[in-house]
Amino acid sequence: MKVLKIVPEKCTGCLRCELACSYVQTGAFQPAKSVIRVSPYEGHTSYAPYTCTQCAEGWCMTACPVGAITITPAGAKDVVDDRCVGCKLCTIACPYGTIFYDHDTRKAFKCDLCGGAPACAEACPTAAIVYAEAETRDWLADFAVERSARLLAIGGR
Amino acid sequence: MMAARHLIIGAGTAGLNCIRTIREEDGGASEITLVAAERPYSRMVLPYYLDRSIAESHVFTATAATLATWKVKTHIGRKAASLNPQANALTLDDGTTLEYDDCLIATGSRAVKAPVPGADSPGVHSFWTLDQARAVIAGIAPGSHVVMVGAGFIAFTILNSILSLGARLTIVEIAPRILPRMVDDKGAALVEAWLKKHGVKILTGVALAKIGDARGKRRLQFKKGGDLLADLVIMATGIKPNLEWLQGSGIRINQGILVDDHLRSSVPNVYAAGDVAEGKDGVTGAPAVHAIEPTAMEHGRVIGANMAGRDVAYRGSLNMNIVEVCGLDIASFGAWDASGAEAFTALRPERSAYRMLCWTGDRLTGAIIIGQAGDVWTTNDVGMLKGLVQTGVRLGAWKEHLRRNPFDVKPAFIASRTTATLLPQTVLGRSSRAPELPTTVTR
Repeated sequence: MKVLKIVPEKCTGCLRCELACSYVQTGAFQPAKSVIRVSPYEGHTSYAPYTCTQCAEGWCMTACPVGAITITPAGAKDVVDDRCVGCKLCTIACPYGTIFYDHDTRKAFKCDLCGGAPACAEACPTAAIVYAEAETRDWLADFAVERSARLLAIGGR
Repeated sequence: MMAARHLIIGAGTAGLNCIRTIREEDGGASEITLVAAERPYSRMVLPYYLDRSIAESHVFTATAATLATWKVKTHIGRKAASLNPQANALTLDDGTTLEYDDCLIATGSRAVKAPVPGADSPGVHSFWTLDQARAVIAGIAPGSHVVMVGAGFIAFTILNSILSLGARLTIVEIAPRILPRMVDDKGAALVEAWLKKHGVKILTGVALAKIGDARGKRRLQFKKGGDLLADLVIMATGIKPNLEWLQGSGIRINQGILVDDHLRSSVPNVYAAGDVAEGKDGVTGAPAVHAIEPTAMEHGRVIGANMAGRDVAYRGSLNMNIVEVCGLDIASFGAWDASGAEAFTALRPERSAYRMLCWTGDRLTGAIIIGQAGDVWTTNDVGMLKGLVQTGVRLGAWKEHLRRNPFDVKPAFIASRTTATLLPQTVLGRSSRAPELPTTVTR
């Protein structure tokens, strides 16, 4: 299966992925509704994007009481808007923190891999996000450990 | 030898997840019989039916046609009357006897009203079943004064719906504070202030004495303090597992039916799931009745796999809840109420945000998060807190970071390799299937 491979060392923090994601997902440039989210490390000297891994369990999908989360042909777990009632159970079931609730539409929303052509990967100018055939893995941990050592040592933010 | 005749008692979340999983595993090879007092529907979504954001048809989880396609024989509208594990037989309330090779008890729970005079009079409702939801819908009009007796999770799931119907709402709670089993005192105070700001009247520490009639309205009298007049009263004063019918069956029952790590009762071919089951809590390791939707779902799936011949041990359930009231999200996970446990709390009144992180050593074993539903700051962390409690990853030096910055969960989550811990975790030891009908079922 093709997955979103994250290469955090290449991320410059430009946030184009968030803009592209929200535009494709909602029709407006509103990073607050992006389902890929860039976080700063090392006092804003480095950055890394984080999004749904399309995990094997699909905690959001199995938790849904009305079967409103399904698997798309691209292999993404996706919310069927007509079925979702907005109960938020998926948001506490997902242990990765990658399914969200839209206060305006009253529906859950998450990464659906844009139907097999993820806008975030297309928008990334440095190939920090690549849509490629790969085994999903923890793309960020090594980077985060290294880039947060100083933060932990000084006890700041 | 693999069991060929599965008997499922109860068509709630546990029962239906069990049936779906059996069919995912066996493609239709076994015989499944379902006994259910009501047509299968989801109680979770009744609040959205109450406020008319969904049609009634949306609440049903498995239609007669679906069950037929799944090759399930049904006894809908019938209740289990007695179980004879020695004979592997169940007797229904109409005298029918059903034999099984293995059986799931998933009879759920029912709402109980406060034991006061007038609790059963017209205009005093529970909100638990579809029929009860219909009665509440028929009884609320714009401008109605609704009095909610009880301020627990169930009550809170319908506050938004009542308000959106244009009703005025008063909540009365016998405990000194709201949400006694979902959040701590500080969290409850924040939620109470938020609700009052949004026009909800809240009276805590008041004991209901009697409900009488006052020219078509309900008059609520309390042990102390003045009366309240209501057009409609909803009693959200607790639920009770439906276990009475098992008296004399020999099945071991404590708070619920005691089950092992495969969700088997004291009789090995009789399983129990959901609100009637007392199974392992994944955080404390102790037996507990969680009576929550996610536990019922996981119980049902694990039992379905085991009934189909797999050998799936259950890691234990995680107690958790989320509810939104007037745009404020309230969620809690795990053993946040463990007495004597080390806890960090942080309140940001200007954002109506609250965090409570509860520790065992350097592992997060409980958490409370409260914040505005439209605030990315809140929604980003809900799932990650669940992940930290679920995995119990060791946070090491990040614990001190979280003591100083309880709102900075994400770097701790990521740098503690929580994702790597989570990725191999599945409930059934395989990938989950989409909720559509398994295509392998022989029609």
